[in-house]
Amino acid sequence: MEVQEVTHKPLFEGEPIYSMWLRELIRFSAMRSRILATFASPLIWLLFLGIPLSQIFASGGASQSVPGGLPFFAFIVPGIVSMGLLFGGTNSGVTVLWDKEFGFLKEVMVAPVRRTSLMIGRSLGALTIALIQALATIGIALILGTWLGFRIISVAGFFLAMGFMIITFFAFVGFGLTLGALIENTEGFMTIVRMLEFPMFFLSGALLPLTVIKGIPVLYQLQFINPLTYGVDGVRGLLTGVFLLPAWLDLTVIVAFALLFLFLGAYAFSRMEVD
Amino acid sequence: MMEDVIGVHELTKKFGDFVAVDHINFTVKRGEIFGFLGPNGAGKSTAIKMLTTLLHPTSGSAEICGYDVVKDSDEVRRHIGIVFQDRSSDDYLTGRQNLDFHARMYEMSGEERESKIEEVLDLLELKGKENIKLHNLPEGVRRRFEVARGFMTRPDVVFLDEPTIGFDIKARMDLWNQIKTAREIEGVTVSLTTHFIEEANYLCDRVAIIDKAKIIALDTPQKLKEAVGSDLISLQIADGGEKRATFMEKVNELDWITRVEEYSNSILLNAESGEGRVADLIDFADTHGFVITSIDEREPSLEDVFLYFTGRTIREAEGG
Repeated sequence: MEVQEVTHKPLFEGEPIYSMWLRELIRFSAMRSRILATFASPLIWLLFLGIPLSQIFASGGASQSVPGGLPFFAFIVPGIVSMGLLFGGTNSGVTVLWDKEFGFLKEVMVAPVRRTSLMIGRSLGALTIALIQALATIGIALILGTWLGFRIISVAGFFLAMGFMIITFFAFVGFGLTLGALIENTEGFMTIVRMLEFPMFFLSGALLPLTVIKGIPVLYQLQFINPLTYGVDGVRGLLTGVFLLPAWLDLTVIVAFALLFLFLGAYAFSRMEVD
Repeated sequence: MMEDVIGVHELTKKFGDFVAVDHINFTVKRGEIFGFLGPNGAGKSTAIKMLTTLLHPTSGSAEICGYDVVKDSDEVRRHIGIVFQDRSSDDYLTGRQNLDFHARMYEMSGEERESKIEEVLDLLELKGKENIKLHNLPEGVRRRFEVARGFMTRPDVVFLDEPTIGFDIKARMDLWNQIKTAREIEGVTVSLTTHFIEEANYLCDRVAIIDKAKIIALDTPQKLKEAVGSDLISLQIADGGEKRATFMEKVNELDWITRVEEYSNSILLNAESGEGRVADLIDFADTHGFVITSIDEREPSLEDVFLYFTGRTIREAEGG
C-alpha cells in the first residue's frame, strides 16, 4: 500500500460548526416544552422568588445589607440571569454524554471534523438559547422593575454585560464538558451535576449578598473559590453599575476559569473513545 | 491487480484481561463486499470499531486506503461511511435533515448535497419519506436512512455493523439488494458484520468466520463450503417402499457416496463434491431400473461451515 499525503484540516471549520449550531436550534424549536420553559423559568424565579425576597429586604432594616444601595429586586435580576448561564452552560457540556447515550454522537465523532469544532458548534447553539433566555429574563425584569426598581444603567453596560455573559457561559460549558468526560456512566450522573450546580448557585452572591454570611467560616470563604461569584458580580456590575468586587478581578477569574476548563474539556473530549 | 483498500495486521483489542479481538489479519480489495460472520460477542463489532477509528487498538495495526487508523484517523474518516449497529441518527430531525446535516459535516457544497441526497434516497427506495421526522417512522425505514447516510459522502469503504438486525424477511431481502446495487453503482467497498448465515452467504464476496476473538476461516462462501467437503443430495424414487430400500443399498456401493439416509419419503445422500453428481445419479438409476421422481442438490450452508470449524452451530455459540 502506498502512503498517501495527508491533507490538513482547516483551523476554522465553518460548515460543521454552523450545522452543529443549526441542529441545536432545530431540536430546540421542535420541542415546545423547551421553548415554554425558556420563558417560563425566569418568570417563575422573578415573580415567586424575586418579589417575595425583595419584600423582606424592603420592609425591614435588612435593606441596609444590600450593598451599593441597589433595590433588592435589581440585586437579584443579574443573579437569576447568571443562574441561566450556569445551568445552561453546564448542561450543554454534559449533554455530550446524552448524545453518546443515544448514539448520535457516534455519527459526528467519525466525521472528518475536529472534535473541537463539534464542541464549538454545539456550545454556540446552547449559547444562543441561553442568551434568548437571558434577554427574556432581563425583559421581564425591566417590566417588573418599573415598580420594583430595576433598570439598566447604560446601553454600553448592556452590551458589555452580554459579552461577559458569553464568557461566563463558556466557562460553564467547559466545566460541564470536563465533568461529562470524567464521569462515564450516565446513571446518577445528573444527580451529581445538580449536587455541584446548586451549591455553586447558592454560594455565589446571586440571591443574597456575599457579606450576609461574613461571620460564618468556611461557607464565607467558599464563595470566593466559586467561579460563579465572579460571573454574577461582573454581570451585575455591568447591568446595574454596582460592582461588589473589583471589575478586573471578575474578568480575570472568569476568563481564567473559562480557558482552563475549555482546555480540559476539549482535551477529554478529543480523547474520548466511543463504544 | 486490484488494490487493497483495507489492510489489517495482527489487530488486537483487550478490555482489561478480556481479549475481544485477538491478532486478526486480512485484506479487502476495492469493490469487494467483505463480511465478518460470527455469533454475538465474537468480536466483530470491536474489530469494525477499530477500523472506523472509534476504538484504539491495543496492538497491531490497520490501514484504510493506505491511512493508518490511529495516526491518520481523520484521513480514514474522510474515506469511510459507517452504519452503526445501534441507532445513531437524530430522531427530532427528518430523514432529509439528517442526511443534509451529515453531508455538511463533510463540507459538501449545497448543490452536491442536494444531488447526493436524491441519489441515496433512490438507492434505498426512500423517496416520499424524507420529510418525516424519524421518530414517526418504522424502525426498518429509519435504519434504511442510516444506510443511505453511509453512502452519502462518496466513501471508498462503507462499514455496516449488523445492517439488518431486527428486520423482517422482506425488508432484509430488500436491503441486501439495495446494498448490492449501491456497491455496483457507487463502486464502493463494503465491509459488514453479521450473525445471519443467509446474509453472509447472499451478500458477501468473501467471508471471515470469527469466533472467540479470532478469525478461524476466511474465503469466498463457495470455497468455505467446499472445505466442508460433501454436497447434499435428496431424491425420491417412484413406487417407494422396497424399491427405495434396494436403491439405497445399490447407491451406497458408489465410491463417491459417503452416506445414505432415509428421510421421511426421501433419500438423503452425502456426496463428495464434484461436477455432474445429479446427472450421474439419474444415469445410475436408469441403468438399474429405477425412476427418480425428484432430485435436489443442496450445498452445505455456511452454518455447516461454522459447525465444521468450531464444532458448534452459531446459535449454540450465542446461547453460551
